[in-house]
Amino acid sequence: MSNYKTKVVGFLCNWCSYEGADRAGAAKLKYPGNLRTIRVMCSGRVEPQFILKAFREGASGVLILGCHPGDCHYKSGNYKAVRRIELLRNMLAQLGIEPERIRLDWVAASEGEKFARVANEMVETIEKLGPLQIKFE
Amino acid sequence: MAERTGVFICRCGPNIGNSIDVNAVMQEVGRMEEVEFVTDHNLLCSQEGKAFVTEQIKKNNLDRVVIAACTPKQYEQLFMNACRDAGINPFLMQMTNIREQCAWVTADRQEATEKALGFIKAAVSRVKLHESMEKKAIDASPDVLVVGGGVAGLESVLTLAQKGRKVYLVEKTPFIGGVGALLEDVYQTMECAPCMLAPELQEVLQKDNVEVYTHSELEDVVGSYGNFTVKIRKKARYVDIEACIGCNACFDPCPVDVPNLYDQGLSNRKAIYLPFMGALPNVPVIDSEHCMQLYGEECRLCEQACAFGAIRFDDHDEIVEKKVGAIVLATGADLMDPRSIPQYGYGRYENIYSAMELERLYASNGPTGGNIIMKNGKKPESVAFIYCVGRKEKGYCSGICCMYSVKLARHVQEKLPEARVYSLYDDLCLPKKESQVVYKKVKEEGIEFIRAGQSSTVTQAGDKLKVSYDSPIGRKEIIVDMVVLAPAMVPSGDILKLSELFDIPLDVYGFFEQEHLLMKPFGTPLEGVYIAGTCQGPKDIGDSVAQGGAAAGRILSRLVPGEKLELETKVANINEEICSGCRICIGMCPFSAISRDIEKSISVVDETLCRGCGTCSAACPTGAAIARHYTCEQILKEIEGVVQ
Repeated sequence: MSNYKTKVVGFLCNWCSYEGADRAGAAKLKYPGNLRTIRVMCSGRVEPQFILKAFREGASGVLILGCHPGDCHYKSGNYKAVRRIELLRNMLAQLGIEPERIRLDWVAASEGEKFARVANEMVETIEKLGPLQIKFE
Repeated sequence: MAERTGVFICRCGPNIGNSIDVNAVMQEVGRMEEVEFVTDHNLLCSQEGKAFVTEQIKKNNLDRVVIAACTPKQYEQLFMNACRDAGINPFLMQMTNIREQCAWVTADRQEATEKALGFIKAAVSRVKLHESMEKKAIDASPDVLVVGGGVAGLESVLTLAQKGRKVYLVEKTPFIGGVGALLEDVYQTMECAPCMLAPELQEVLQKDNVEVYTHSELEDVVGSYGNFTVKIRKKARYVDIEACIGCNACFDPCPVDVPNLYDQGLSNRKAIYLPFMGALPNVPVIDSEHCMQLYGEECRLCEQACAFGAIRFDDHDEIVEKKVGAIVLATGADLMDPRSIPQYGYGRYENIYSAMELERLYASNGPTGGNIIMKNGKKPESVAFIYCVGRKEKGYCSGICCMYSVKLARHVQEKLPEARVYSLYDDLCLPKKESQVVYKKVKEEGIEFIRAGQSSTVTQAGDKLKVSYDSPIGRKEIIVDMVVLAPAMVPSGDILKLSELFDIPLDVYGFFEQEHLLMKPFGTPLEGVYIAGTCQGPKDIGDSVAQGGAAAGRILSRLVPGEKLELETKVANINEEICSGCRICIGMCPFSAISRDIEKSISVVDETLCRGCGTCSAACPTGAAIARHYTCEQILKEIEGVVQ
C-alpha cells in the first residue's frame, strides 16, 4: 500500500444527507475511510472558500451532498449550492483543476445505499485523478 | 486563559471498540496541545456514562468537551445536558460521529482508526472556537388572526377558541361559511350543507373570545412570529349589526335591482340584501355602489321600512388594529371561468352552466327555490355533465370535480326522473371512503358514464346543444338541453395581494406554497403564518377542515399563553462593523428574516424568523453575515482537522 492516501472532504447537509450517511452506517455499508465528512446545516451553507480550503489542506476532492431538489429543509438552499458550485467548478477548470474533483449530489435521509455508492464512486474518481496538481501560494 | 478541552471516546460496546484502535486514538489525541484530558468509556449514552461525563468535566475543570461516539442525531441533546449539569454551556460541546460514519462503514481497522483520529482532531480544533449560546425567548401574544371564514378558517377558529384563545376572524364577504354555505348538500354523505355548518357558524358567532369581522379585509400586517400587528379594514355595512334583528323588511321597498353574484348572477337582489336566505350573521348589507341614497339620490326607503332604526347611512369604513402572535390564512379558491376554454361554448350559447351555477339552481335557498329550470323557464329533458374542464390547461387534477359532478348528476336525475343524464368524464377521481358507493348507486340509477377524455366540444344545434366527443369507434355526439361544466379550482383573486403583503411565496399554480407538501402542508416559510384549505391547493371540505385544525393545533402547541416563544439558537447575525449594506443576504434568505436597517445602511437579522440555514453567510462578500455555531472559522478548522 502506497503512503499516498488521497483525501476527500464531504460536506453533508444536516437534514437529508447526514442522515443518509448515518443510514449507510446503520446498514454497515462500506466505503473508503479517506472520505471525511463534515456536517453543515444546509448544502446552501457551503461556500467556495470551504472547498478551496479543503484543497489547500491536501484534499484531492470535495463532495457536497444536499437534499433532493424540492426537498430542501430551507426551501432553496440546494439550488443555491448548485449555482455556487457550478461557478466554482468552472473557475477552477480554468486553473487546471478537473471539475470532477468537486461533486454535488443529492442524498435523502433514506438513501443509505446511495450515499455509500456516491462515496465509493467519488473516492474512485479522485484516486484515478491522483493528487491535485495545482499549488496554492 | 487557554481552553481546557476534554475528549470522551465511546467504545459503544463492541460497535466502535472492535473496529477502531481506541487506545491508539487516545494516545494521539492526548498529544494534542489543546487536549487537557482524554478518556474512553464503554457506553457513554448510559445513565452511568452521562454521569461520568458530568463528573469528569467538573473534576478536570474542563470548559470544552468533545464526545466521539455515535451520530449526534441520536444523543447530542443528552450530552448537551451532561455539560449543562456540569455547569458549562451546552454549546461548548462538539460531538463527532465515529460510529455510523466511521466504525461501521470502514472495513480496514487501520483506516478506521486514522479516520476517527481525523474526526476527533477536527472536533477538538472546532470546539475551541465555540461560543456559549443561550436559548432565546421572547414575549409573544397568544392571540390569533384567522383570515377567511370558510370551513378551513372556521375549524381553526373553533379549535383555538375552544381552548380559550382570543381569535379575530376576518371575512371579506358579509357572511361566514364560505363556499360550503352556498351548497345544498355535500358529497359523499349527501348531508344538508347548511345543517352541517349551522352549529359551527353559531358557535363562532356566539363565542365571547371570537371577534368576527365580516365584510372586512386585511389591510396591513407588520411584525413577526409572536408579535404581529394587523390592520383590519371593517367596511361600512350601513346596517347596525347590533340593532338589526334580521326581519328583512328592508328588502322589498328598495327600488334597486342588481344581479346577485352569490347566486352566480342567476337572480337579482336589492341594494340592501342578504347574500342568500339563511346567511349568517343574519344582518343585511347595503351595497354602496348601487344604493341610491349612498349614490346621492334621496331614497331612504329601507330606513323608513326598518322598525328598529338599524339603517346607518353615515356608516364608514373603519380600520381596526390588533396584536396577534400567529395568523392563519384560509382564503379559499375560485372555480376557473370556463370561458377561457372555448371548446365548451360557455358564455357563447345559452343553457351551458358551470357547476356552481347548478349548485345554486338546485339549492333550496337559491334563485329558483331548488327547481332546475333553464333561462327559458323550461325544465331540461336531457343534461350532459362535462368533467375535467381545465385540468389539462391548469396541469393539475382539482380532486373535487368528479365528486360534485356525480352529486349534481344524481340530483338532476332525482329532481327530473324523466331526464336523460350523461356524464362525460376523463379520469374519474373518486378516492376516499364511500365515494365508490355513491358512484355505483348513481350508475345503477341510469346515469350514463361516457369516457370522453378531454375531447368534448359543445355547439348549438337549433334550440338544443350538441356535445361531440371521441369514442373508440370515432367521433360521437349527443343532443341535450343543458350542459354543466366542472371547472378546475383556481387560486382566488386576492391571493397575489396577500402573498405580497406577507411576503410568502406562491407555487407554480398560483396557490400558497406550503412549507412541505406532505409534512407541513399547513405551514409557510414565514414562521407564525399558516395556511389552511383551498388557498394551499384544491381540496374537499374534509381535507380543508383537517388542515384548519392542524394549523390551529400547531399554534396551540407552539404559542402558549404565559410562555415565552423559544427561538432557534443557531441563528445568523450580522457584524455591523463590516456589513457593507450590499443586500445580497436579503435576497438569499428563504425566510425573509433579513431586512435592511435604512438608517445604518446595513442588514439586520430578525431572530424570530431565522432558522439558521447559513446561506446568508455563504453569500456574504465581506464575512459580516455569521451563521452561529457554523461559522466560517469553525468549519475551516474542522476541514483542517479532518484532512490531517
